[in-house]
Amino acid sequence: MLFLAMWTGDIMFANTYELIVFILNYIGIYDPIYKVFESFGLEYLLRIIIVLVEIAALFVFILLTVMFLTWMERKVVAMVQARYGPMVTGPRGLLQPVMDGVKLIGKEDIIPAKADRWVFTLAPFLIFIPALLIFIPLPFGESLIISDLNVGLLYIIAISAISPIAILMAGWASNNKYSLMGAMRAVAQDISYTIPLALSAIAVVLFTGSLSTVDIVTAQSGTWFGFIPKWFIFLQPLGFILFLIASIAEMGRIPFDFQESESELVAGFFTEYSGMKFAMFFLAEYAHLFSVSAIVVTLFLGGWSVPFLNFIPAVLVPLVSLGVFLVKTYAIIFFAMWLRDTVPRMRIDQLLNLGWKIMIPLALLNLLVTALLLTAGVFK
Amino acid sequence: MTWISKDWAMGGIIKGLIVTLKHVLRVGDRPTVTVQYPYEKMKVQPRFRGLHAVDENACIGCGICEVNCPNSTIQIVKHNTKWYPQVNVGMCLFCGICVDVCPMNAMKMTGNYELADYSRESLIYGPDRLLFNKEVNK
Amino acid sequence: MESDELIINMGPVHPSTHGVLRFKLRMDGESIKECTPVIGYLHRGTEKIGEMKTYLQFIPYTDRLDYISAFPNNYAFVKAVEELAGIEVPIRAEYIRVLTMELNRIVNHLVAIGSLLMDLGAATMIMWGFRERENALQLFEMLCGARMTFNYIKPGGVREDIPEGFMPKLNEFLKDMEKRIVDYEQLINGNEIFHMRMKNIGVINAKDAVNFGWTGPTLRGSGVDYDLRKYEPYSIYPDLDFKVCVRNEGDSFARFIVRIDEMKESLHILRQVVDNMPVSKVISSAEYGIAPMTGTPTAVSTYFPRIFTPPAGEVYSRIEAPKGELGFYVVSDGTTKPYRVKIRSPSFCNLTAIPSLVKGLKIGDLIAAFGTIDVVLGDVDR
Repeated sequence: MLFLAMWTGDIMFANTYELIVFILNYIGIYDPIYKVFESFGLEYLLRIIIVLVEIAALFVFILLTVMFLTWMERKVVAMVQARYGPMVTGPRGLLQPVMDGVKLIGKEDIIPAKADRWVFTLAPFLIFIPALLIFIPLPFGESLIISDLNVGLLYIIAISAISPIAILMAGWASNNKYSLMGAMRAVAQDISYTIPLALSAIAVVLFTGSLSTVDIVTAQSGTWFGFIPKWFIFLQPLGFILFLIASIAEMGRIPFDFQESESELVAGFFTEYSGMKFAMFFLAEYAHLFSVSAIVVTLFLGGWSVPFLNFIPAVLVPLVSLGVFLVKTYAIIFFAMWLRDTVPRMRIDQLLNLGWKIMIPLALLNLLVTALLLTAGVFK
Repeated sequence: MTWISKDWAMGGIIKGLIVTLKHVLRVGDRPTVTVQYPYEKMKVQPRFRGLHAVDENACIGCGICEVNCPNSTIQIVKHNTKWYPQVNVGMCLFCGICVDVCPMNAMKMTGNYELADYSRESLIYGPDRLLFNKEVNK
Repeated sequence: MESDELIINMGPVHPSTHGVLRFKLRMDGESIKECTPVIGYLHRGTEKIGEMKTYLQFIPYTDRLDYISAFPNNYAFVKAVEELAGIEVPIRAEYIRVLTMELNRIVNHLVAIGSLLMDLGAATMIMWGFRERENALQLFEMLCGARMTFNYIKPGGVREDIPEGFMPKLNEFLKDMEKRIVDYEQLINGNEIFHMRMKNIGVINAKDAVNFGWTGPTLRGSGVDYDLRKYEPYSIYPDLDFKVCVRNEGDSFARFIVRIDEMKESLHILRQVVDNMPVSKVISSAEYGIAPMTGTPTAVSTYFPRIFTPPAGEVYSRIEAPKGELGFYVVSDGTTKPYRVKIRSPSFCNLTAIPSLVKGLKIGDLIAAFGTIDVVLGDVDR
């Protein structure tokens, strides 16, 4: 019964596997099942099954969230433009993503005649799967994390660097000179904005001394003067802005949207895709949106930690922290959608100008100032 | 140095964001203005130029509307021993000149605009579909 | 090492060419070396039709030239006919004509700004612009029965008088529009990304602009102070007080700001027209009746015969349409049908400057510069 006491602030379980094992122990069915597996000599199979169940739950959660995000985007854009958005399919248009999926599945799957079949088919998967792999070290709540890697942040940045390869594969395999040009521009945009992204993230690591995401979140718990939470956004405002802008540019949203604009001639690297493969690109884009917002929340806005968690019984803390995390993530997603409605696009050369000439010097300056202040002992 | 400028403050973008947020929260006089056709329809004004209607008692079959139509879509045809106009709605401009020139004020235009149909021949509205009988108080 | 030049076709069906217009571009890498517009996809033979219809039957065809703002098209033709035949128009009809034309100017600029921003990526402006346009179109529907092709201005006056309930709704529209223009300015004018896309793009100096035959807001964005409503006034414009909006830089941003200023000036003119409108001589609503063809003069139209034969002669009359100078050259040989109708359309003359305007720019800049010239293909191709 000691779990009905108030939460003390220590992490209860290292990851979700241990949480599930604890719950099964509490119900009392863990030991019989373990003995069954042990009689066959396959103890590790139980662990694999539990982890697979966790991953399946995460997968379903991500897919549902991505479907919900497509609906939310259309509704937010419509609210800004003084209209309603989807209203006919389902109550208030909630079944619209389902209808879009049905439409896309029903389309004919066209592969151009001279295209490279294997590479063409493989490229959408290579974009979609990293978008799912990013979620492994992200803490969704207190002890709700698939695996607490101690190089969590490095893993995240490395996985998001796989996408240029997949974009080039898609552009090359289409056998279309405009797709290839579009793919090369998209890769140029990607790599020129990964650098400020990584530099701003490193400035955060200087505070915590560890790359593990759980450590970053616990370093942001607690308050100053009793009411200002110790989030890194207050310690690193410039880093936050740079990280946000760099991540919006990585995703290819307006104002960095020239790939999908109809007025640019080069129609983008996914011109030749139709049906379910096209749907993969779109789902990957929205999954990327969700994951990048989650990373921003973890690094700068305190992840799942909020000052009032200390007044909640410890057994409820995982759920409440999950709710807090989702609220913060949706706030950042709303900001990205809100920005999309307000500003026009930038031209490709102005965009690259911004990335190389303005954001990289600022990110280096941020790093320098943070390092100087830390060694001078300003932050204890 | 071109990369240092006061545009960094991004004040213009922030002002734009505030205006957009006011629309999202419906602050001030900024409602949603969609009319969800076909579940709700907008009312047409009294002078709306829609489908024609010919007053059976007033029309004398003079043919002035036929002569003045810019597109030659009105023909005068025989209908139960009298002569009345027939309008080819597929070609009609809905300009209203036939209403202007009718000497007996028999040609009118109603507010009916939902005229889509499946074949071109059914768009020729003969006198049986256009005539209406104004009840004359005796 | 030489690189080949690329020939790209920005086809007739394209979301940002405001209609069916085709550009043949020869590009060197990203910059445009040569640009050839190909027009004629919307040609309907309006000038030839003018020789086969009577003067009254031709007016619906003039509506379809610049279909976004149709009242000035009507009025330019009717002005030519009135000059030919020497018809006098009652003063209330002139006030109503100016009211409709200025309202149309506001609506036209809303669509122009909205389409420009939609091409650049911000889709909110066109939705807000169309929300205002919807109110204006309901006003027009109340007045003459149609929302886009009006057929309202006839030689001798206008078709019908203003109905009841129009003036209160118009006053509401004017108040509303002021607040919305404040919203638009806040959204767009300070936006840094918009400045980056539009400043110093498509610059043309005053002498070149005049040599190309430009008129309208595009000319006034280059510093030339020329507005037909001031320098060759027609209708009741000599009695109205307004100023001509001019900007000196000559780039796309200046042309855009000129349009916003013109919207505000039009609101100012509309308020003067509403305040000074002469009272109708009509006593009962039964006499609102339909104008010219019943043969009797009404409060808003003089007598206009059923068979109208103007004396033989020719006339060129021009007005300041929202896109520039719209002129009709009408030759009459004494019969009921004109001998020749020639239309000088502003979009066509503005479009001829595009090849020299976009040399050296990138495609994104072509879209931005072309959007500020405000071309409607119905006007170009006739």
